Amino acid sequence: MLLWIILLIVLWEIFASVVTQTKRTPENVMPHLSGVIDSIFSDKRINGSQTAFEMIIENAGATLSRAGIGYLIGIALGFVLALLMSLSGVIEKIAFPYLMLIQLIPILGMAPIINAITGDIAVSRIVIAAILTFYPVATNTIAGFKAVEPAKHELMYSYAASKFQIYTKTMIPFCIPYLFTGLKISAPMAITASILVDTLQGGIGLGCLLSQSLKGAMTRYVFWDIVFFSAFIGILSFYLMSVIENLLCRYKRAGGSGKKG
Amino acid sequence: MRGLKKGSLSQQRDKIESIVYPVLFGVLIMILWQTGVLHKMLNTDDYILPYPDKIVGIISDNSDMIMVNVWASVEVALCGLFLGSLIGYIIAIAATSFPTYGTGGLTIVSAFNAVPIVALAPVIINWTKDVSSVAEERSMVAKILVVTVTSMASMSVNAYRGLTELPPFSDDLMKTYAAGRLTEFVKLRLPNSVPYIFTALRVSVPGSVIGALVSEYFAEYIVGVGRQIRENILIAQYATAWAYIIVACMIGIMLYAMLMIAEAVFLRKRR
Amino acid sequence: MPDTRNNDAEILLDDVGMVYTASDGRNVQALTSVSMNIQKGEFISLLGPSGCGKTTLLRIIADLIKPTSGRVLIGGETPGQARLKRKYGMVFQSAVLYDWRTVIKNIELPLEIIGVTKEERCKRAAKMLDLVGLSEFERHYPRQLSGGMQQRVGIARALTLQPEILLMDEPFSALDEFTREKLHIDLLKIWRKTNKTIIFVTHNISESVFLSDRVCVLSPHPGRLSAVIDIDLPRPRTMELKDTAEFTALVSKVRNSFEGV
Repeated sequence: MLLWIILLIVLWEIFASVVTQTKRTPENVMPHLSGVIDSIFSDKRINGSQTAFEMIIENAGATLSRAGIGYLIGIALGFVLALLMSLSGVIEKIAFPYLMLIQLIPILGMAPIINAITGDIAVSRIVIAAILTFYPVATNTIAGFKAVEPAKHELMYSYAASKFQIYTKTMIPFCIPYLFTGLKISAPMAITASILVDTLQGGIGLGCLLSQSLKGAMTRYVFWDIVFFSAFIGILSFYLMSVIENLLCRYKRAGGSGKKG
Repeated sequence: MRGLKKGSLSQQRDKIESIVYPVLFGVLIMILWQTGVLHKMLNTDDYILPYPDKIVGIISDNSDMIMVNVWASVEVALCGLFLGSLIGYIIAIAATSFPTYGTGGLTIVSAFNAVPIVALAPVIINWTKDVSSVAEERSMVAKILVVTVTSMASMSVNAYRGLTELPPFSDDLMKTYAAGRLTEFVKLRLPNSVPYIFTALRVSVPGSVIGALVSEYFAEYIVGVGRQIRENILIAQYATAWAYIIVACMIGIMLYAMLMIAEAVFLRKRR
Repeated sequence: MPDTRNNDAEILLDDVGMVYTASDGRNVQALTSVSMNIQKGEFISLLGPSGCGKTTLLRIIADLIKPTSGRVLIGGETPGQARLKRKYGMVFQSAVLYDWRTVIKNIELPLEIIGVTKEERCKRAAKMLDLVGLSEFERHYPRQLSGGMQQRVGIARALTLQPEILLMDEPFSALDEFTREKLHIDLLKIWRKTNKTIIFVTHNISESVFLSDRVCVLSPHPGRLSAVIDIDLPRPRTMELKDTAEFTALVSKVRNSFEGV
């Protein structure tokens, strides 16, 4: 894997060198990586008061905190819906086709209208991040509930366990890995959504900064900083979920397939 | 003989209920929408959220104009999907043939999946400035490339599983026939990967529509369903924007329905 | 023919029948007119090929399914009442352990369900673990154990609530012959110590003869009880018993009692 990362960096630098020699403004097309890194840590004040780094951190805070709130709301809603669907046949029958349908609807394409309905960019960031989180969580949790082997249900039945016990002792612990599959899918999506909503309107946020830089309101390097930063955050959010999953599911890491009995 | 099987009568009732209940729910939402109750619930007005009949009216009045944009978006989505899936499959073959380096490459490709598409789209649009002197053409190429990159990951990861997760002992069986690597690939791995290709497409078909719509936001040339949603909102034509949203949903559903049909045809012998 | 005169039997089956409706709407007779009674502390095998209804019969006793005709009494009560009083311990074909719980926590599970205090749970689970000889593995996770050890944990868990009846559904069918033989000896020891009534479903003739006081032979199409054979071999039984002429003669007798296979 390290080899591939090095290979990608080398390829980037080769193309960047070609671009530097043939273009008048190479940073518009493909700057050297060193230039991008320099721009992040340089002391130059970009908008009069802040360096690039300070500016990105401030805007990222606005974008990511909204993405995070939406993400948490989406998780809660998705989990509760999955629970209700598993508890009630009627709710499952109503919700199931719509849950399938919502995956086919380009929610990101609806971002502008949700922005118009809520009238507030902060709220619409939360709403869209929540919608995008909600259905992968709901569908994967439902799949987890359904994957519980019949024998486990029979075991619980033979103990005359209450419905509450069946859920807390069997169903919910069983579906945790499935829940995390959903969380891993939706974490980068929530971030993407939040940045996209930013670009629709002025104000504060990584997306606003991105479009301002594209329009030439500030140096192009800010654009590249944000591209790399958001790529990094997107990948990081995915791995963060994997790390939390591994911490929660210690039994998965317990290695060794056995002593003979 | 295990488990209490439901009688055929109650199975039939189950089937009917699972169609009737969601349809009733959908009708209920439409009634709430048309009567304005939905507006009160969402705290909005019929200017931002027009009534269904008005939206339908706009779609039928502007069908020519809408179709131009639909084709622009569908073309981008399908071309990108095809290219991305092809490249993704080739990456999977490469990773299967050279496992030492290949699996690391797969990890990189799947990491691309987590890169926000909003970061990707402007970069690719930048890179394709010199492809053509016509704005329409170079925008098209850029948009297709965005979709290509986004649909690559799911295909390469799933196809790799299809090429490597073989039925038990089937590769041993191939070895006992002294089959070459090519024979093994054509007779065993390739057919084994077909269901996995469809698993990948189930993810990347809706993904390609989203990719097409979002890349339109950043493209130079103004065309496509996604761009129309945005442009119409900028000039406060909410009813028209809604018409395009409905159309965008229809595109997603139609493409997925086509995938389901293709899957039913290709996998009919396996079920 | 089995008799139903003795009404103070631990388990009484009276003309039990089971008819399923298949998906094509036809009725399938899974079990016809099974009558027998089982004494307290008896080791009974239900033996037969697939489709003979032996598992169906076990599940009827366990209250997992209701018979379509006849009646079942467990110590004078219905299976439902017996289940609510936690009279049953179930052991399945696979161990059905909870991956996310350690061995000891798996055994504590039924105690959690009936609301036993933590201290008492630990004590009783440790005792059960000792009974199956796995005390040193209490902190292991199921996937770290071999198949045979997992099934022993399953047996320990089934015994935790000190049920009167142990219901075992082909518990050793997935294990290799060496492990299986060892578990036969272990199971007989546990049975002698705890004095449970055991109903043991199997398709292995030699296994049923070696373990049981009586072998109930079931035949398919339609599922019915075709013979009940007393196994009057001395106890405690050891591995050497399998080499004796008496054992071989009983195995042949059981084999010859099948109808229409």
